[in-house]
Amino acid sequence: MSARPPIKPPAAADREPVREGGTAAIRDGFRKAPTVRLRGLRAFYGDQEGLKGIDLDFEANQITAVIGPSGCGKSTLIRCINRMHEELPGARSEGRVLLDDLNLYDPAIDVIAVRRAVGMVFQRPNPFLTMSIFDNVAAGPKLSGVPKRHLPEIVERSLRDAGLWEEVKDRLGAPAHALSGGQQQRLCIARSLAVDPLVLLLDEPCSALDPTATLKIEDRLGDLKRRVTIVIVTHNMQQAARVADRTAFLLDGELVEAGPTAEIFTKPRDRRTEEYVTGKFG
Amino acid sequence: MSDLALQARLEGKEGHLRRRRAVNVVMEAAATAGAVVAVGVLALVIGSVIVKGAGAFGLDLLIHSEVPFGEKGGGVANAIVGTGLLILLATAFAVPIGLLVALYTHEFAPPRIANGLRFVLDVLNGVPTIVTGILVFSLLVVGSGQTAYAGGIALAIIMLPIVARSAQEVLALVPRPIREGGLALGLPRWKVLLRIVLPGAAGGILTGVLLAVARVAGETAPLLFTCSVFAQGISINPGHAVASLPLRIFQLAEGNSPEEHNEAWAAALLLILFVLALNFVARYLYARTRSRVGL
Repeated sequence: MSARPPIKPPAAADREPVREGGTAAIRDGFRKAPTVRLRGLRAFYGDQEGLKGIDLDFEANQITAVIGPSGCGKSTLIRCINRMHEELPGARSEGRVLLDDLNLYDPAIDVIAVRRAVGMVFQRPNPFLTMSIFDNVAAGPKLSGVPKRHLPEIVERSLRDAGLWEEVKDRLGAPAHALSGGQQQRLCIARSLAVDPLVLLLDEPCSALDPTATLKIEDRLGDLKRRVTIVIVTHNMQQAARVADRTAFLLDGELVEAGPTAEIFTKPRDRRTEEYVTGKFG
Repeated sequence: MSDLALQARLEGKEGHLRRRRAVNVVMEAAATAGAVVAVGVLALVIGSVIVKGAGAFGLDLLIHSEVPFGEKGGGVANAIVGTGLLILLATAFAVPIGLLVALYTHEFAPPRIANGLRFVLDVLNGVPTIVTGILVFSLLVVGSGQTAYAGGIALAIIMLPIVARSAQEVLALVPRPIREGGLALGLPRWKVLLRIVLPGAAGGILTGVLLAVARVAGETAPLLFTCSVFAQGISINPGHAVASLPLRIFQLAEGNSPEEHNEAWAAALLLILFVLALNFVARYLYARTRSRVGL
């Protein structure tokens, strides 16, 4: 697979839309990235309440950082958006998650379709270790029935968007585990982008990476937000300040406040926010 | 404490210290002896089989079938082919079912049912193989006669818990984030299992299959009632009873000529070499799987 012929950039109309299950219903209903609205979102682990009724908007084509101390529910919150939360044994959630006006928790909505519309990158890079670089990125579209001839183009576009193309274009057939941690994480970003999501969720994507690798990822987010709405959970306040247009502060499963990043960091309305962003706790 | 007393303590000359050291030495020696016995038994088995079997071991043994009573020469070719067929049938029955059981317990079953199933598999693994043989005899052989199918099914029942349990262990090695990565791409759970989780675990699952094959390759009891009245020539018809190495060894060992006894040892050598080879391949594959899933 390493010796692929050069690929000409295809016209957008060349690509057939991904149609399987309920996917088309979500993807085709949107001409641009949606605003993600949480309404009364509650999440449970068994009897324990992880999120206690969250109302929050993630603006379209913006990067919103979700910050807060460990265990405050940041990860739970974004895992509710692509309905990965319900994969955990004993976990459930209630309330509404809307893409513009489409409720992802509507019983008529297929969870598979939700996850194709809302991509996710995890805390630790989790490439499919038995697959090549190419196959990792192609996995989503390929296993969803996209014709094989479209894959090289999708893979190149996704790797370029993730800022990894130049480093791997000559060894697409190499196993994914041959990449460094930072490269693996960008590979995972490319893998998420390959299914052409409307929203991209990043769950502390840089917590296992060194500063250089972190910057390479942050560098790509600015471009990506022109196509997708981005929500990034981070432990790192500097990262939130660097990349996020808006920031939401969570504490003990409740939303303390949300607003433009500069405001949250310089003149927060809530005392707890101020204490957290100035490093008094957390 | 005087210097002398301190010195005595450090040198372990005080009573309880000396006793403690003595107990330590005895325990260590006993444990070492146990380990030596275990290795020694294996060495003895393999060594004696090699010494006694090497004489009659050779190409003639491998390519000739058994000869009619009273004639000289002959080999175990029909038993080799028969054992091959039985293993093939047993694997074909046991592996798909074992894999499904493992996938169910590991991926779909609620924890209590999964625990129950693991226990059931362990019990099944402990059922004496002669009982398995009689069960299959009463269900499949009575009224219709012995067949390789019946023998294969009896062996499959013995393989099933080994395959299922080892596949469970290997599935547990595939890290949760790998599955989540697949699910988060909007892939249905069964596709994540078949296309992402299983390929990562394939080597380890194969390890379990090989170990199960190694186990049943030498099973004699389950074949006694199900697949023991066989013709002397090579047969690959699963609708008839076929010869097998363990039963042929049994017959030869019961014979009264030294040639037959030598042939029994040679056949035993063949069987043991086969089982050893399977074990080595299985070990290699398991090590490779562990490194591939990132452990």
